[in-house]
This record gives sequence, C-alpha cells and structure tokens, in this order.
Amino acid sequence: MSTLRSRNESAWLLPAGPGSNLLLREDMRRFRHEEEVDIVIVGCGAGGATLLQRLSRAGWRAVALEAGPFWEPEQDWVSDEAGSHHLYWTEPRVITGKDPVPLGSNNSGRGVGGSMVHFAGYTPRFHPSDFRTWSEDGVGADWPLEYAELREFYEDIEGELPVAGEHWPWGDPHSYPHRPHPVSGNGELFLRGANACGITARVGPVAIANGRFGNRPHCIYRGFCLQGCKVNAKASPLITHVPDALAHGAEIRADSMATRVGFDEHTGLATGVEYVHGGLRRFQRARMVAVAGYSIETPRLLLNSTSPRFPDGMCNDFDQVGRYLMVQGAPQTAGRFQAEVRMWKAPPPEVSTEEFYETDPGKPYKRGFSIQTVSPLPITWAEHVAAQGHWGPALRRHMSDYPHWACLGALCEFLPLEGNRVTLAEETDRNGIPVACFTYSQCDNDRRLMSAAQKVMEQILTAAGAEEVITINRYAHLVGGARMAAGERDGVVDRNLRSFAVPNLLVTDGSVLPTQGSANPALTIMALAARAARVLIRGARKGAPASEKED
Amino acid sequence: MSALPLGEDDGGGRYPGFSTLAQARHWDRVTASVVQSRMTLPPDIRFFTPAEEAAARTLFDLLLDQHDEPRVPVVNMVDARLAEEQTDGWHYGNMPRDGEAWRATLAALDSEAGSRGGCSFALLDPEHQAALLQDVCDLQQELWHGLPADRVWSLWTRYACTAFYSHPLAWDEIGFAGPAYPRGYKNLGVDRLEPFEVRDIRPGADPTRRTGP
Repeated sequence: MSTLRSRNESAWLLPAGPGSNLLLREDMRRFRHEEEVDIVIVGCGAGGATLLQRLSRAGWRAVALEAGPFWEPEQDWVSDEAGSHHLYWTEPRVITGKDPVPLGSNNSGRGVGGSMVHFAGYTPRFHPSDFRTWSEDGVGADWPLEYAELREFYEDIEGELPVAGEHWPWGDPHSYPHRPHPVSGNGELFLRGANACGITARVGPVAIANGRFGNRPHCIYRGFCLQGCKVNAKASPLITHVPDALAHGAEIRADSMATRVGFDEHTGLATGVEYVHGGLRRFQRARMVAVAGYSIETPRLLLNSTSPRFPDGMCNDFDQVGRYLMVQGAPQTAGRFQAEVRMWKAPPPEVSTEEFYETDPGKPYKRGFSIQTVSPLPITWAEHVAAQGHWGPALRRHMSDYPHWACLGALCEFLPLEGNRVTLAEETDRNGIPVACFTYSQCDNDRRLMSAAQKVMEQILTAAGAEEVITINRYAHLVGGARMAAGERDGVVDRNLRSFAVPNLLVTDGSVLPTQGSANPALTIMALAARAARVLIRGARKGAPASEKED
Repeated sequence: MSALPLGEDDGGGRYPGFSTLAQARHWDRVTASVVQSRMTLPPDIRFFTPAEEAAARTLFDLLLDQHDEPRVPVVNMVDARLAEEQTDGWHYGNMPRDGEAWRATLAALDSEAGSRGGCSFALLDPEHQAALLQDVCDLQQELWHGLPADRVWSLWTRYACTAFYSHPLAWDEIGFAGPAYPRGYKNLGVDRLEPFEVRDIRPGADPTRRTGP
C-alpha cells in the first residue's frame, strides 16, 4: 500500500465518505497565459488526467484544459437516468456511412473525469494477442509496442483505481487487488447459464472499491454507475488522479474548449493551445502539448489546426488523422425469467467471460468477443423493447414485465478500417469551428462477430432458464483515429505517443489504439498515458525545446 | 398521487400499492428535487407551434397508449427538451438536427393524414391514426416524406420513451424502485426483494407470449 500511496495519493486526499476535496480546488495553482508551462493537456479524462497526475507529481508545470465542468458529484449528479444528460458530449456532430454510429451517450463524456464518470466500470486488460493481430491473424494491425511493455502500467493503474475481481485466467493470467463483489440476480443468472453451457465466466474486473480504499467508501450497490458514482466507490479520474495532480501543483481549467493547437512555422514545434473560455478566445503557451480529447474530438482538433506547414490539419501529412476509428459491436440480449431478476439492483458491471476473445480457427471469422452483464435502467430498457417494434399498449405491457428480465452485452472486436474516420463537416459549432463528421461502415467479419456473440448470449440465457430472448444491436466505445504505428505513413504517433510530425506534440487518449480487442478500453488508455508519462519524465523532457524560462 | 390508468390485460396493477415516490425520504436532496419536479405543473409549450403541438400530442398518446388522466405530460417534456436544445447533439447525415426533424415529421404526419382522411393527424379517427403510425414503423429503411422511416421512428420513440419512463408514476407500473442513494440495496440476487419492493402478482404474464400490437 505504501508504494501505491507514494505513487498516487488521490484516495487519501478525498474527504472520508462521499464528496470532493473543495479546498484542493480553491487552492489550485494558477498559471498565467503568457507563462510558458511545461505542458498543456487538452482533455481531462482517462488519458489526459493520468498524464497530468504523473507529470505534475514529477514537478512539471502542467495545465489541463477541459471543455466541460469541474464536477461536484454531491450537487451535480443524480440517481436518475434522464437527469444525467449533462454527463454526455452533446455538441453537434454528423454521423454517416453504411452503419452510422450514434454518439452523445454511452460513448462520450465531458467534464473533469471524462467518460469514465459514467462508464460502467469494467476494466479488463487487453490480451497479448491484441498487440499483433496482423502477424497472428492477418487482420487489423500490429502495435509498435508489446503487451509486456505495458504490463507494469496495467498493474499500477489496477492498484490506483482499484480493480476488484476474481483471478483472471484469460490473456496474461493475473489477479486483482480487491476481492470480487457479491453479484445480483443478473450476475447470478449469467454464472448459472455459463456453467450449464460449460463456459467459464468470472466475477469482475470492475474499478469499484470492495472495501474502504483510502478515504473512499465501499460500494453500496445502488446500480446507478452509469449516472456517475456519488458514493466515490467507482473509479473515475475525477477521484483517482485529479486530487493528486492538484496537490502537486497542476492546474485544471474547466469549461475551456480547445479550438486550435498553436504552431511555429520556423521551429516546426507546437507553441501551446488556443481555447475558448467564457466566450473569450485565449492562448496558453507551453513547451509541449498533449491532445487527449478522445477519438472524435482529438482528430477534429488536429484537422482544424491548419497552417502553411499543415494545410490539411496538424500531423496529417499522410492522411492518417481521423482514420481507423473503431467502435465495438455491442449487441445486448435479454432473457425473460419467471423469477424476479430486478437487474437494476447492484452495479451493471458484474460478471464477464473472455472465452471467445481470440481467433478460433474453427470459426468463419477472425478475432472474437467478450460477454458481460449489463443492466439497463427503464429508459434504456424501453429502447430494447421499442427495438422489437412494440409501441402503444404492447410497449406498456412489455415494460410492466421489467423485473423478470436479465440482460447480457457483448463487445465484438470490430476491425480497424481505413474508411472509418472523422472528417470535418460544413456545419460549425457555436464557436464557429467546423464540427466532426464521423463515417462508419462494418465489414463482413464485424457482422459475423455480432451474430456469433448474439447466439452465445442466447445460449447462456436459455441455459439459465430464460423463456424468451430478445436482442438489440448497438455499439460501444470509440478508439483509434490518431493511431500509433511504427512509421509516419501508417499512423499519427509513435510508441511513446509522440507525433511523428511535431516532436513536442503528443496524443494521449484512446485515439492512439491500433486495435481494440473485445475489452473495454479505459484501463488500457490510462496505462498507455502512464507509460508515455514515464518516458517523458525519464529524460525525453531533454528532447523538448529549451525554454527561455527554463527553471 | 394516483396510478396511471392501465388495464390489467395491458400490464396494469402488477405491483399493487408500490410507490417509488413513497421512498423519496431516502433519496439525496438533489435527486429528490429532480424526480419530484416531474410531478409538478409541466412547463408551457415553447418550441412547438399550435399545429405541431396537436400532432405531437396525438403521436405521444398513441405511442405510449395514454388516453385518460392522469397522464405523463410527454408533449410538454419533449417540447422543453427541444426548446432548451437538450438533444444528444449528433444527427444522421441524411436527417436534419433533432429540432428541425421534429418539425418536419410532425408536418409530414399532418400532410399524410390530409391525403388519407382530409384532415390533420390529430383529427383523424383513432383507428386510422394507429394504422398510419404502423405504416411508418413498417417502412423500415424506405423513405417517408423524404426522410428514412427507421430514423424517423427512432426519433419519435426515443424522445417518447425518455420522457415517459423518466416519470415516477411510470416506474410504479413497471416495479422499478427508482433512485437508491444514499441507501443502496442490501438484498441482491434472484427473487430477493428489499422490504419496500413489491412482488409481481402476475409473474406468469409474460408479454412475449401474446400477440397483437
């Protein structure tokens, strides 16, 4: 524990019980705009906040710009679905392609903490095979990084969140720092059904404290993880990394929307970030810039940062910015039981299986899927029911049956495709900046995975005793769009997340992922940011341009 | 506080005496005020024109089978969202932004009713109103008045369900316990209820075993 606390003291900086350390915010260090800070980070979610905490602890003068608010969970969040709309990124965007992907809810976030504020809480690691799908399976891409190089960062972050779960037999087998949580009706039925089918399923891995962690309390199983955890039991950077960052002199400027990365034609280096706060256009000078706005906003910011050197957008010499964006196919299958499941009780993330994660030579598709419990609340559940074509009396009748249903969700590894990308639309936002157009079309492998995953979920639920099953096809997560690669023709950043084109510009969010596995991406994004921070702290800082105000 | 009218055959009365709002004293203050505000006088119509309001009211009553009082004021709730631009932000490349899409599709309902029955959608007889909606639902990916029918259907049902199933009286009829902070739950597992939860008295009423709309 002492090692953990000396690495990240966040859990001890919070008040005992729910709430925030408001004193830390009041006393937050504030840099002047004309002062050249060591780094300005765009976005304060999984990638941005982790980098901010690591660098400020190492003494860097770091500023994070966050488009959304600095949350105070006790006042700003509610145990209510419709009342949580403000947790999502709802700025205008256009979606196109053969299979357009709706945004603005489960795959977006805003405010300090990012989308982890409302993520379910699953934090699986990627498998070693995820890092070389091209060599092993002839699909996707190889990472310029191996699993083994990320392992210690996975372990560190799992300790800091902390992650609870059973011993994990898949990928690189490992254990978790906290014991598995008790399961609700939904998890119980998953375990029962999987057992009957001979499928291994395990409790976890979830970033929810099981037992007191620092000053953070135990989970109370209220089931509103997706509306932001008021308890402080579920991890998000707001409570896992931001407190320690502030205590080490970081500044977070909330309600600050980045509009452009500054660039010096003479030196070929980034000079800072232009942003809008309170209607005013500002510029924060910095020696380095890290963009961590996630897979839609990161490419959008780079594409909007044009200059004579980069007429098509910053770091876009080879038309790589915005490309190879991925979502996971996330069909959800629900089963009807005579017994009452009441799946809304307890956190939606409980039990998962990664038995179908890797390529099975006997199957007509490459790569695979994972299956996890999900527990839709009434509004989301109504979407499941309405998707069956029910409306009017049939809708009300089906909805009255809510306590009898259990629900599983799959994450299918959709492949990175060149044409799935962000471009700029003609439409502009209220700051006059072109909005993102996100184009998505599935390939045959993607579709095969979706139907294979549905069959396994139907099999599990039926084996558990379900009388009927219904499925809704949907998507989850976003990664890619500014991927890491071995060379500049295949991606935007290198293995240390430094851009090929601008030596003092990094991308430190999910958009750097070359493949996505069937794992929820949050843990991997944090681990990659922690690794990039380590590289910077251990000397790459010397490679940064000398500042006139070098201290 | 009375229950929403819903016949036994339509799933009414399965959780006798259950009231989510009766638990409000166990909720945190912020959540309680958000949920309880839905029981108060709904906001006035600001976004819809009178003609749009009439079409929208009819549409929501049909989609949610609300034909008697008390009812969830869905038309006011959707109107408030659109007036405040509380949308999800994104829109399909072949659909306008949500506000505009609402105006266009409500006008299309009136125009369709005009060609079918020579009146506005709201004044069409109920049987033809329902038939018209089912036709839009069945068109799937085909165009309906220049817009993809499946996207139109999804726009309507998404807004309708988000409003209706955010209402505590709608929670009562589906047995949902509502907010659970700071109390949490202590009885997890199949068929395990909290002391305040009410068991379904017709557990065999599996709606998937029935036919019809």
